[in-house]
Amino acid sequence: MSLFLASVGFGLVTAAVLAIAAVGFTMQFAVTDVLNLAYGAVMIASAFVAYALNQAGVDVWIAMLAAAAAGAAGSVLLNQGIYTPFQRRAASFSQSRAPITMVIVSLGMTLIIEFGLQAIVGGTNVSYTISQGPTVKAGGLILTTVQLVIIGLSVVIMAGVHVLLRYTKLGKAMRATAANRSLARNCGIRTDRVVTVTWALTGALCGIAGTVFAINNGSFGATSADLFLVVILAAVFLGGPGQAYGAMVGALLIGLATEISAAYINPSYKDVVAFVVLLVVMVARPGGVLGAAA
Amino acid sequence: MTSAQLFYAINLLIYAGVDIIACLGLSQQFGVAGVTNFAFIIFQAAGAYTAAILSLPSQSANGAFQSYVGGWNLPFPVPWIGAAIVGGLVAVPFTFLVGRRLRGDFAAVGLLVTAVMANLLVTNYRPLLNGAAGLSLVPAPLQGEYNPQSQGYQWLYAAVTLVLAGAVFLLVQRVTESPYGRSLRAMRDNDVVADSLGKNLLSLRAAMLVLGGALAGLSGAILVGFINLWAPSAWGYAETIVLFAAVIIGGAGNHRGAVLGAILVPVGFEEATRYIPPFGPPGLVDDLQWLAIGLLIVVSLWFRPQGVLPERRRLIGAGPPPGPAVRVPNDLVTLDGSRHAPDPDGAARDGSVVGAAGRPMTRSASSAAGPDADPVLRTVGLTRDFGGVRAVADVSIEVRRGTLTGLIGPNGAGKSTLLATLAGTLPATSGQVIYAGADVTGLPAYRRARLGLVRTFQLASEFKRLTVMENLLSAVPVNRGDSLAGALRGRRYWRRDEEAAIDRARALLDRFGLSGYADSYAGDLSGGQRRLTEIMRALMTEPAMLLLDEPMAGVHPRLARQIGAQLLGLCAEGMTILMVEHELAIMDEFCDPVIVMAEGAVLATGTMATLRARTEVVEAYLVG
Amino acid sequence: MTISRTRRSGGSAGSRTARRAAAGLLAAGLAAAGLAACSSSSSSSGATTSGTAAASGSSVVVADLAPFSGPDAALGPTYLVSCDGTTQAINNAGGVLGRKLTCKGVDTRGDPADAVPATRQMFATTPNLALVIGCTSDEAASVVPVINADKMVAFCMTGQSEFDSTHFQYFYRLVPPDLAESYAMIAIAQQLGYKRIALAFGNDIGSQTFIQPAIASISKAGMTLAANETLDLNASTFRTEADKIVAAHPDVILTEALGPTDATFLSEVKQLNGGKMIPVIGTSADISPDWYKSVAAAIGASTVASSFHADNLVTETSGPAYTPFYSAIMAEKGKVGSTGDFATYLTAPGAVHLYDGINLAALAMIEAKSTVPSVYAPYIIKIGNGTAGAVVVNSFAAGAAALKQGKAIRYEGPGGPTSFDSYHDSPGIFQIDTYSSSGAVQVAGNISTAQLRAVS
Repeated sequence: MSLFLASVGFGLVTAAVLAIAAVGFTMQFAVTDVLNLAYGAVMIASAFVAYALNQAGVDVWIAMLAAAAAGAAGSVLLNQGIYTPFQRRAASFSQSRAPITMVIVSLGMTLIIEFGLQAIVGGTNVSYTISQGPTVKAGGLILTTVQLVIIGLSVVIMAGVHVLLRYTKLGKAMRATAANRSLARNCGIRTDRVVTVTWALTGALCGIAGTVFAINNGSFGATSADLFLVVILAAVFLGGPGQAYGAMVGALLIGLATEISAAYINPSYKDVVAFVVLLVVMVARPGGVLGAAA
Repeated sequence: MTSAQLFYAINLLIYAGVDIIACLGLSQQFGVAGVTNFAFIIFQAAGAYTAAILSLPSQSANGAFQSYVGGWNLPFPVPWIGAAIVGGLVAVPFTFLVGRRLRGDFAAVGLLVTAVMANLLVTNYRPLLNGAAGLSLVPAPLQGEYNPQSQGYQWLYAAVTLVLAGAVFLLVQRVTESPYGRSLRAMRDNDVVADSLGKNLLSLRAAMLVLGGALAGLSGAILVGFINLWAPSAWGYAETIVLFAAVIIGGAGNHRGAVLGAILVPVGFEEATRYIPPFGPPGLVDDLQWLAIGLLIVVSLWFRPQGVLPERRRLIGAGPPPGPAVRVPNDLVTLDGSRHAPDPDGAARDGSVVGAAGRPMTRSASSAAGPDADPVLRTVGLTRDFGGVRAVADVSIEVRRGTLTGLIGPNGAGKSTLLATLAGTLPATSGQVIYAGADVTGLPAYRRARLGLVRTFQLASEFKRLTVMENLLSAVPVNRGDSLAGALRGRRYWRRDEEAAIDRARALLDRFGLSGYADSYAGDLSGGQRRLTEIMRALMTEPAMLLLDEPMAGVHPRLARQIGAQLLGLCAEGMTILMVEHELAIMDEFCDPVIVMAEGAVLATGTMATLRARTEVVEAYLVG
Repeated sequence: MTISRTRRSGGSAGSRTARRAAAGLLAAGLAAAGLAACSSSSSSSGATTSGTAAASGSSVVVADLAPFSGPDAALGPTYLVSCDGTTQAINNAGGVLGRKLTCKGVDTRGDPADAVPATRQMFATTPNLALVIGCTSDEAASVVPVINADKMVAFCMTGQSEFDSTHFQYFYRLVPPDLAESYAMIAIAQQLGYKRIALAFGNDIGSQTFIQPAIASISKAGMTLAANETLDLNASTFRTEADKIVAAHPDVILTEALGPTDATFLSEVKQLNGGKMIPVIGTSADISPDWYKSVAAAIGASTVASSFHADNLVTETSGPAYTPFYSAIMAEKGKVGSTGDFATYLTAPGAVHLYDGINLAALAMIEAKSTVPSVYAPYIIKIGNGTAGAVVVNSFAAGAAALKQGKAIRYEGPGGPTSFDSYHDSPGIFQIDTYSSSGAVQVAGNISTAQLRAVS
């Protein structure tokens, strides 16, 4: 039983990191209709920005803000410089091929970002200088202070996203743009600006997620986020691509599912659980659990 | 050349052959058929593993330090054949992901994830294929009789590999340059439309997956026979990216491009980097190599998305004017305004301009006599919901044979949706569609098309990267070359059907005045010309009933009138047409009866004159 | 946009060009077959590639055939440091037959499919090649047959079991087989008095092979297997695995999981065990600067110092064999990018064994008066195992001098005396290594052959 509870605790931590990442990813998809497979690369690059500051003596949590800024800048550049021009071009070239072209382009960008990063920082793995703090045992969950902070941070961010989407003008503009871009434009919403701001905000989320991911890992390198991207995809698709609340739910479910299953089956296969969920959802219900049936 | 250099050269030849075969398989799947299979590497891996476990002796033979299934020590060429078969079989479950109406990029991501997962499972489940260490000491073909490390043997190996590569090239060329290949390309360009023209998308995709899988499996077997070791590190998803890059850069849709890409990227690029002396911190050269591949992909897709060797345009030409075997029906207004003299033989014969191969359930012999009384198409309580919205509400209509029936209504009335449910593009939520006396409600679109119920689309739906002539030819319902088996039997087998189809197409082009554009890409035509192409294409299917969705949209009024006259002429020969249009003047002139829809339901039916008199119809248009 | 090349179709022209292209490929294939027939009559086996005709004065090349990229990217450069240091010392002592030795790195990318063309390219572009070192578990199974067929001597770093009992005439191994390392780890646990053993090995080639022998050895030693978790090297956290292990209350954890995995895993074990580290026993691969750097950063240098032991082949830490070794390696300091304390290269994987291997080969070349492997190879065994009345020498310089005087020699380097068996494997004796709090490697004890045999 204690193993189960402990794994619930780990699942919550994983879910917390996943939620920050998945919400950013899914909102990028919502407003631009692009599956940004370079998201993991931007995450880890931002984590290294934080690392650089951390090595210079800055506290990791402060460095995380720099990572957020780097993620925001990088993501906006990625969208403006690469995705948007390609989308415009691809639409005229062949209707049905445009989404595939974007997938291949984003895979190419992943290679460029990750291996460019590795060329700079080298192949060895690094760790942040951070003390994990005392371990807290509460009701069978075993978590360090840092992990509790991560969970708390994630909750705060989710609340912030909720407030943004529901109550602010920007949030409404984002939802409108996501639902029907041309209609939103015709209603007077400056969709281009909304898209840029969305990518900046989700890029910041990406940077935070990368830092938190690296903190949680203990040790990371330029290609550490490769497999994690798949888990993010599982969470996104489970909740329905483009649905921010769906991503939150998906992150929670996937985080718990992978860690709890690891307690009972060979833990090497815990990511396989995420993959299987992703495939089943895609085949059976591509709109996600919260989305509309196909 | 020293002996060592010769060995190196042989090595490169073999790797080139292997990569060529793999890239051709991918080119066939992705470039020709539009199936984006990011799990492609799994098939090569499956083939390599199969060849390995078929040729390895039993586990205990080599000191029992490897654990794997199989181990039957089978002689060459059984492992290679087995590899190709297994590669094809492994592809079958993947039809699940690509057969669905799933967005292209979603399916691609799902496949990518599958490749990663497969690698993970094989790595972690050691008893299956020896986990991360992989299978080593794999016997080379005929290694009992010959020394695999000798130069003679390796030359022979390279020769066999290249011969196989040549054979594969001929094979995929034969498949692609056939009517079947044309159907594949049509599916690639616009799968929904191909479906509506009678192409069984699931079967086409499945066939391509299996074919590509078999080729990839063969390439894996050849590779493992040469390096005698196969481990998960050899087939990560990075290898799939390299193969895709090769096909895209070389030219997707052109098999020569795939060959070029295979030589340039996996062989040329990866080998060239070995000659760069290591500089900087360790691993820098390798990092830069991957960075360069990423750049190559992005830059190539931007500046030359069609690849170094783009897909070629197939020229067939408009040819000489149609001979006496192909008839132009009586009393037809051609687009240059002249009238043909009525053909005295015309009335008695059933052929008509579109007739060639007869089909059951088309028109009766007395079709030329005028509209028949019995309905070709009937619906009973047809309903279609989208979530909470009822787009088509309990529609019961009848369309009689030989009529040019109009369907009008304000925006959002559900006209296109009704057409879609009639054609099968969208399934009905409830109700029945009865066509030619049979209940077709459960049939998918391509089956209805084969029965003669064909639709066109509201938005431009020509196959952009096929020529106009090819667009027309793609719609032909019966062509011996339009199946994988038929394609494989070669041109001689389907030549006659093809030529007959070409003749029919030329006649149509002539009739609609587009002969000069026969070899132009359909995507390059003007809006009105594209509309005509779609109509001609629909006619090529020898439909008994046509569902036209705004065929005159964006067309010059004079041309619209001519099209209307053509349609009337077709109806006079027994075809039934249901046409959605906004232009009420067209309805006035050509359509009888006319059905009015509003808010998903049928308001009224009758001639335009009678409809104009009814207040609810007028109100619907003012309000709706 | 209709950039396209046109082709006549609908007739035989299209298929004609296709046939022409295929015919081209066929012709190439047949030409290749023809060449095969011709060349097989002239030479039926792989050609020798070492510098037979090279003029004296030109250098002799030692190739470091190992991963320089990919997950095991640290190995190739590490071996290269040993190679450079050793060959420099040899050159300072006069070289081999008046010629200098140089080292060359050849990247296998850690993947067997890439390693074979890398090996072929190495042979094609290195006319003065006389020796190959490196060949790790990542690629050895695919490249050793090639190297052997080309009659090139190779000192390999793989402990894989297939090389325990397969005859490769030109293959030599000074590192212990993985089997033996598993037994050694258990022997260490026995010495330290542990009873409950947990296993946590990575799922890659090099590490997976430790598990079965370890389990067999545990039962033979009368210990209990408390837990057995495989660590997926691609995963990012291992909390559940760590928790399972902690929950099993082992006395010690046996582990090898390279890359970031051990660092992450061990830090999670520490956390879940209430901040207290469970003792750890690692393999010789863990005695490397890279491993130390990531793990010390993750769990703290003092923790490593107090909780970690590893098995390692006995290497001297002082004495007549050690001193020249020390100078040779330390002479490379400053020429290589630093990973902290350069002294860790003294105990890095391959340092001692490759030093000994290169020295053995060089001495064999002198005694055979040739740099052609097929000529000098037999002398490796002779010098390594020694003959009756042979003079024991502890360095290349001493050996070269003795050979000049016409004496028979036996080489004993810092790796201790070698005894090659019929498969050219020299098992060696094990010692127990620990890290000091500054990261320096210390020898904490020894494992006698009897102790090893008791658990194997």
